[in-house]
Amino acid sequence: MMNETVKVDRRDAKLALAHIYVAFIALALGGLAGLLQTLVRSGKFQLPAGISYYTILTTHGVLLGLVLTTFFIIGFQFAAVSRTSGTFSNRVRFWGWVGFWTMTIGTATTAFFILTGQASVLYTFYAPLQAHAGFYLGLTLVVVGSWISGFATFVHYARWKKEHPGKASPLLTFMAVTNMVLWLVCTLGVAATVLIQLLPWSLGIVDRVNVLVSRTLFWYFGHPLVYFWLLPAYMVWYAVIPKVIGGKIFSDSLARLAFILFLFFSIPVGFHHQLLEPGITPFWKYVQVVLTFMVVIPSLMTAFAMFATFEAYGRSKGATGLFGWLRKLPWGDARFFAPFVGMLFFIPAGAGGIINASHQMDQVVHNTIWVTGHFHLTVATTVVLTFFGAAYWLVPHLSGRVMTKAMNRLAIIQTVVWAVGMSFMSGSMHFAGLLGAPRRSAFSTYGNSPQALEWIPYQIAQAVGGTILFIGIILVLVIITNLAFFAPKGETEFPVAEAAEPQERAALAMDNWKLWIGITIALILIAYTVPFIDMIQNAPPGSKGYKLW
Amino acid sequence: MAKPELQRTKTNTKKMKEHDTSLKGTLASVFLLGFFIIFSWVSVYFLFLHRL
Repeated sequence: MMNETVKVDRRDAKLALAHIYVAFIALALGGLAGLLQTLVRSGKFQLPAGISYYTILTTHGVLLGLVLTTFFIIGFQFAAVSRTSGTFSNRVRFWGWVGFWTMTIGTATTAFFILTGQASVLYTFYAPLQAHAGFYLGLTLVVVGSWISGFATFVHYARWKKEHPGKASPLLTFMAVTNMVLWLVCTLGVAATVLIQLLPWSLGIVDRVNVLVSRTLFWYFGHPLVYFWLLPAYMVWYAVIPKVIGGKIFSDSLARLAFILFLFFSIPVGFHHQLLEPGITPFWKYVQVVLTFMVVIPSLMTAFAMFATFEAYGRSKGATGLFGWLRKLPWGDARFFAPFVGMLFFIPAGAGGIINASHQMDQVVHNTIWVTGHFHLTVATTVVLTFFGAAYWLVPHLSGRVMTKAMNRLAIIQTVVWAVGMSFMSGSMHFAGLLGAPRRSAFSTYGNSPQALEWIPYQIAQAVGGTILFIGIILVLVIITNLAFFAPKGETEFPVAEAAEPQERAALAMDNWKLWIGITIALILIAYTVPFIDMIQNAPPGSKGYKLW
Repeated sequence: MAKPELQRTKTNTKKMKEHDTSLKGTLASVFLLGFFIIFSWVSVYFLFLHRL
């Protein structure tokens, strides 16, 4: 802790801020696409100039699911690692910039092919839908850029370990390293499908593609992607929020253990996205369902730790009764309020996730808009509200400014607007999904079928929610622009909490990466080897590419 | 008079300490969370059975 810098170095701050700017530009464009989608699906609005619904759907998914998240996460993690493990060396910072520009060029390339209508394949880019090769190439650059940034983080971490023999790494650095290890292992799947299957296929080098293998490799990446989004939010919850409220981390070791469990159990579980996929035997689906349910353990550990942090703080301030501690929390502080509302929304999000992953029960909701409602709670509320809450101190910390009371008030209003908008939108998505309304599809009455007509009121509610959420996006953009360029100059704290009872030895034992990566790989091999061989050995002829838009 | 007052102070301190470290609200919260998860799951499970 001696070398801990209180302020992120100005040069590192610039690198982190560059990522955050791209993230919020993506939010503006992707959010607009989202608004248009909900309006189209209400049946009351048509896109002008022959713009395809599927073009804006792909824009929305790629910009918000991949670009906003990845850029914000890497920017935030660079700042967190620099803050807790010391200023980057010039070499690490240089590679950080190389990673940033590679990702940015990749994003621009992908966006070009989507916006020109050559890649309306949605963000899951399922074969046999075939995009222009430039789309796959752009995504490859985004992933390669993130790898470069990941390795830059590892080099910095290794230097810290070398300079601090026998010491446990700072909690935020440990968490950032865990998340980047998870990212590197899982993106191997998407890199494999893009480089070995989809790129040669879209370039016409090969005619046909093994659809099942490509979807399996996608979901080998796609589920841990959810945890790549979620773990930085957990970094804020575990290591920052206690400091914001004036309390302590309930248990440093518990936080580290939860992160390692997420590393183990978020990857070998992709089949729970493919429960209705023909070509995978029920046994292997069941194995991955069991592994999926293991993720419940670190999730509930996190819920427990958060409640305990809040209660311990409230009681230290004299709270009495069963829930008296709730009154002691700083409800007027947007740095706390936004992530807290995110936590609350994670309760129905988690419950929905357990339902989705329950093997046969998935038939009730599979490919319905329930699933869209589900991940708008997880990533678009829990994760995003936590990122907004973090940005309220991170952006002014990095830009050398302070948040005014007026901006804090606006941020509280923004959080309420988001919660109301999402309750409308995600709530009606869940209910419409239970009535069978499909996801991923433009407005249709399906020949006035009575069942499809039942969905329309819910689709109008989604448009109402989407409109409210778009107001929320405008508000957060106003706040972030203010914090980056116009707020009064000054010093803003980068809050990093201390553990209630530091357990150095336990924390040190957690830095055992050979063991953690070994277990992670073993679990992946157990879950995937046999069914994957089966998919290749018993493969059908493969499919030609289709451009259905 | 002095003795009972001393005792009362001791009891108060003990009570204060208990309050400071009590996690009964956390226990209640995680139970409520668990019940919510079970309720949601069972609701969709019955929908699943109904549609079989």
